[in-house]
Amino acid sequence: MKKNDYQLYISGAIKLGVSFGVVSLLARWVTGNTILSSPETLIKYGLIGGIGYSLVGALSSILFGFLAKKIRENHPGQHTIGDVLRQKLTPNGYWLMLTVLILTSFHSLFVQAMGAGILIQMIFPIPYFIGLLLFLTFCFFIGGAGGMQRLHQVAGVNVTLIFAAVIIIPVYFYIQEGVYPVYDGIKLYHPYLLYIKNTDAFWFIFTAIFVFFGQILIDRASWQRMFIIQKEKVQLTFTLTGLIWATIPLALSSLLMITIFGRSFENVYSLFSELVNRIQSSILIVLFVVFVFSSIASALSAELHATTTLFVKNIMEMFFTLTNDEKWKYTYLFSGAVCLCLLVIVSILTPSPLTLLFFTGNIYAAVISPILYIILSKGVLPFIVPFSSFIGAIGGYIFVTRTEDFKGIWLSFTISTVLCLLVLIYKTITRKNIKLL
Amino acid sequence: MLTVEAFSLNIMIAALVPLLGAFTLLFLFIFEKRIDLLEKKTREIALERELQTALYNQLNQEIQPHFFFNTLNSILSLARLDRKTELIRSIETLSKLLKFKYQTNNTFITIDEEITYVNYYLEIQKIRFRDRLHYEFSIDPNVNQAITIPFIIQTFIENAFKHSFERYVGEAFLKTTIEKRDKDIHITVWNNAVEGAEELSRERGLGLVNITKRLELLFPDGKTSVQLINSDNGTSVLAIFPFILSSEI
Repeated sequence: MKKNDYQLYISGAIKLGVSFGVVSLLARWVTGNTILSSPETLIKYGLIGGIGYSLVGALSSILFGFLAKKIRENHPGQHTIGDVLRQKLTPNGYWLMLTVLILTSFHSLFVQAMGAGILIQMIFPIPYFIGLLLFLTFCFFIGGAGGMQRLHQVAGVNVTLIFAAVIIIPVYFYIQEGVYPVYDGIKLYHPYLLYIKNTDAFWFIFTAIFVFFGQILIDRASWQRMFIIQKEKVQLTFTLTGLIWATIPLALSSLLMITIFGRSFENVYSLFSELVNRIQSSILIVLFVVFVFSSIASALSAELHATTTLFVKNIMEMFFTLTNDEKWKYTYLFSGAVCLCLLVIVSILTPSPLTLLFFTGNIYAAVISPILYIILSKGVLPFIVPFSSFIGAIGGYIFVTRTEDFKGIWLSFTISTVLCLLVLIYKTITRKNIKLL
Repeated sequence: MLTVEAFSLNIMIAALVPLLGAFTLLFLFIFEKRIDLLEKKTREIALERELQTALYNQLNQEIQPHFFFNTLNSILSLARLDRKTELIRSIETLSKLLKFKYQTNNTFITIDEEITYVNYYLEIQKIRFRDRLHYEFSIDPNVNQAITIPFIIQTFIENAFKHSFERYVGEAFLKTTIEKRDKDIHITVWNNAVEGAEELSRERGLGLVNITKRLELLFPDGKTSVQLINSDNGTSVLAIFPFILSSEI
């Protein structure tokens, strides 16, 4: 393969084994969301919620591993989620699903950039705009222009930093403070964190299964990695990724308890700046800050790369026949434009804590059944299958204005599942009739 | 409410599990390639052992004096009849057949190569059987570069000669079909039922065990099978194995 071949940008030069596959997926999945949602989960749903968050993340990855094996068997020679959707859907269905993918991609990129913005504002003394500009330029060179090979080079460093931070910092703190004072402090100021019979937490865990699983099912970057991992190792790689990933939010929760014991706090995001203030050793401060930014940068770069690939390979190429050079040109233009948009939007909107948990939960819950149907069925599926995800998501959003979040997510899932089941039953009956005739 | 003991346990687990994750990754980085290499070596050794057995069986079964002397006699008659062109062609084919047989040490070859070899064999059999033998091939052009184990079609065809055409007089029809179905290759070798032939499926079935074993070794993750199907108008052998192009190896 030539060095400037566009295929190299999409897939890199080598097939990944389990170890590199896990590293690449961890770099994608330890995101700003993981870091920023951990305190939110801990504060809202207590220790049980924190543990549940980790376990559900692991479960989603393990479940996706089963599907990944099947996808690799049924769709050899493909590279992106768009390639598979093009094979399995009608043109209208394909464009609808691509719209959903592009929208969720932009939302996810925006959340990452916003997360980076919040942390830059909290931690660094430099002007916020300059910090964000540097951060997004770095992401552009890694994910936008660099391609899969560059992403893998950064992934190794990123995962090393993740483990260094989540192992060293909690151990350092608990050795310094001891567990008893932390327990007493939490019992006094935040006793709700220690409640076990927390039904809200169980509902949260139950709902998180839908949201996380839906999220990984339509994650462009995970699909791309699935196609470059050695076929016989795909399932094992996703299983191990899930198990190893689960250890990170667990460690982050234990770390955050250090910050909140014995006092109150302003909001969940201020916990990070307080944590930085609490860390006495300058080496550990540097380690923590580098860990946070490296995680967000690698996740944002992976998302940017996957979205750019989706745009060039599955949108542009549907309209024009592109030469290799043109593909590169559009890649630079698109990823540059996305970075610029993110810079402008995040700069204009003053960074403010977002409701990260389940903000797009309805969409993720609604796509589960249609995507499962697409993966597990044979032949081309009618427009109603992808459209059911749209109906489900809209139904959930309408309902959510009248009731609490969780029920809206369940409703989104139920609507799309019922529609898909109806299509399945209809197809089975008509097929039987044709056979009888 | 969580007790202090449970809280301590929770903190201990939360602080230690990342260590476990890091060790798992480290272990994979150090040993994954070695484990892969060991698995590959074990498979290769088993495959080579099976190939040796196959080669031994091939030589035993095929270069038997019966086949060899009959072929030589047929070539001799061509010389006596002064049919020089056919004579040269048959000696050349016999030479190529023997060369291929003795030189094949690979654990897999392409279907194209296997067909070339089978054609040499059938050309020689045509000299022996003359107008009695009718054979045809139906090959999906997409499968030419797919890999298979050496001597697979050859063994099926030889079985047809050994258990049917050479034992009983009458017209000999042989049909070989190779097609791609979904993600598999289906190879079918059919021979007509010769009048007076007895049921020999058990004897033939035993000869297919080596093929089944070698297919399983070459395609450890894929679905493979070899079936002997008897019907009123003939006997066919069907082998199924995954479609993998030689360029993908």
